Amino acid sequence: MNDFSDLETELKQLRPSRPSDELALWVEQALTASTPSAGILPRRKTSRFNWFSLGLGVATAAAAFLFLARPAVDRPTAPQPTIAQSTATPAMLTPQPPRRTLVPDGVTRVVYGTRDEGLVFPGNREQPMRRLRARSQETLQWRDSSTGASLRVSYPTEEVELIPAVGQ
Amino acid sequence: MKDPVKVMENVATHEDWKICFAEAAPGLVLFARQFVRSGADAEDIVQEAFVRFWRQQHSVQNRALLFSAVRSIAFDLLRKDARRARREAVVVADAEHASAPQFDTTTDTQQALARAVDQLPAEQREVLVMKIWNELTFADIGSVLGISQNTAASRYRYALGALKKNLTSHE
Repeated sequence: MNDFSDLETELKQLRPSRPSDELALWVEQALTASTPSAGILPRRKTSRFNWFSLGLGVATAAAAFLFLARPAVDRPTAPQPTIAQSTATPAMLTPQPPRRTLVPDGVTRVVYGTRDEGLVFPGNREQPMRRLRARSQETLQWRDSSTGASLRVSYPTEEVELIPAVGQ
Repeated sequence: MKDPVKVMENVATHEDWKICFAEAAPGLVLFARQFVRSGADAEDIVQEAFVRFWRQQHSVQNRALLFSAVRSIAFDLLRKDARRARREAVVVADAEHASAPQFDTTTDTQQALARAVDQLPAEQREVLVMKIWNELTFADIGSVLGISQNTAASRYRYALGALKKNLTSHE
């Protein structure tokens, strides 16, 4: 019996968190894959959130909103029935709202991480391919030249590129 | 709780990797989490290590080899990481700042214990993780880390001593 037996007991009662259910499924898939990969394993397809789709969705929604909202702003008000009519001077006329014209002003893409993930055999192909993963941040910007207002949408993206590994 | 060694020996006989994996996976992921910040990355490492190991061995007689595979793949991942490429030479030291082991804690005492484990130096923590939650022998641990059995046992004692000191100072 050593001095640490109580501490060891307490440590053993501390249970590691269970891994995700997907992990066993991907191991099973890799083990039962019909084509052996000569030591190069297909990577687990993690269900990470698709930020690119989210960003694209946000950008599309913003563009659609601007497109739909503009006619409402620019549309002249419906004429009201008048009881009496008088001649109005130009100064008394209701001022028209300024026409909102947002035009694309710029697109930036900042790559903040790339990773060479080695050779893989996508879709049980016989020819190996090198997988490169790049993470970046894309920013789309629109500007209204008349008011100086701008709209900016920024979102992270992740791109995976498969390059045939010829002659390796 | 089942004895992992017995389960694994049984598994080796019946070649049923599922039982073996279910039993070993939490400890393996816990071990891998010492080297990478993300739980998903840790699971990627464990998947690759286990599949590679199982294809080659079809047996779990040599569990040290499985942990060596996890450690090797984790270090490969760190080296491939562009942000860490400049620090390739000190990859082990970098592990000092990696994520702590993850536990299901239910009491304040367990949370304090988990935090104390987190604060251990990496070389002590990995010995502790292999010994306590994976039940490797000191000989196996020495084999995984490329150190002697006595050094592994010594690091384990240092780890327990540091934990006890940490917990006592917070009481």
